[in-house]
Amino acid sequence: MAGFLYMSDLIKPPALHSPHPSLTYTVIVRCGPHQQGQSLSALEFTKELLVHGHQVLRVFFYQQGVHLSSSLRVMPQDELDLTALWQQLSLDYDLELGVCIAVALQSGIVDQQECRRYELSAVNLAPQFTLMGLGQLASASVESDRLVSFGG
Amino acid sequence: MSCLMILSCAPYGSRSAKESLDVALVLAAFEQQPAILFLNEGVLQLLPASKCPATHKHIGKIISALEMYDINELWIEQESLDQFGLTKEDLSQPVNVISRAKVSELCSQYDQHMVF
Repeated sequence: MAGFLYMSDLIKPPALHSPHPSLTYTVIVRCGPHQQGQSLSALEFTKELLVHGHQVLRVFFYQQGVHLSSSLRVMPQDELDLTALWQQLSLDYDLELGVCIAVALQSGIVDQQECRRYELSAVNLAPQFTLMGLGQLASASVESDRLVSFGG
Repeated sequence: MSCLMILSCAPYGSRSAKESLDVALVLAAFEQQPAILFLNEGVLQLLPASKCPATHKHIGKIISALEMYDINELWIEQESLDQFGLTKEDLSQPVNVISRAKVSELCSQYDQHMVF
């Protein structure tokens, strides 16, 4: 990440009388771990929203994005582990990370419950991520002022 | 909250087109019928069943379900049609044709945009 300077490095969390009103966002992540640049943008954008006092209702991982919720990917030591970064962000800001259940199942990503239901050999959904239906994306979009999607 | 979905994925070759239409149907099930704009390769999603490769599931089944879900506002970009030598008559659904110059105006009428 050398050479990159993010706004969060410069700006502290906003003062209460911030000139911009805080908004409610839903972020859709459609790019996976192999589209490093886009995936990192999604993460950094979401972090900026939170740092600036906006509310992020939910981050919804769809299509290639579901692969970011696998706890079985092992990254080379000198590369970013996006899954771990999302998990940390979720812990820091109590952020909900929703993963489309239909795409997750087709991509071999399961939680305890689905593992039992389909009698699979392993559970690999990373902690902090939750499997949920597309309906959760639809309901988040109704309640959000802004819907921002990454990847394609 | 009005939503415009912009679909530019080719119907076959990846799951993207199907997955984007799934989102449209789920939005409709939540009574937020989106308008849909087909762009670039996305216009191919509107070709009739006879043009579907035999090894693939025809996406027209989902396209024809849009009406059942009260998704009636379908737009298609003229320049994208031209790019594939298609006309409005080649398509499986009645759609509104819009020129590229007017697309931004169309976008500005909606609160949210979902781009696939």
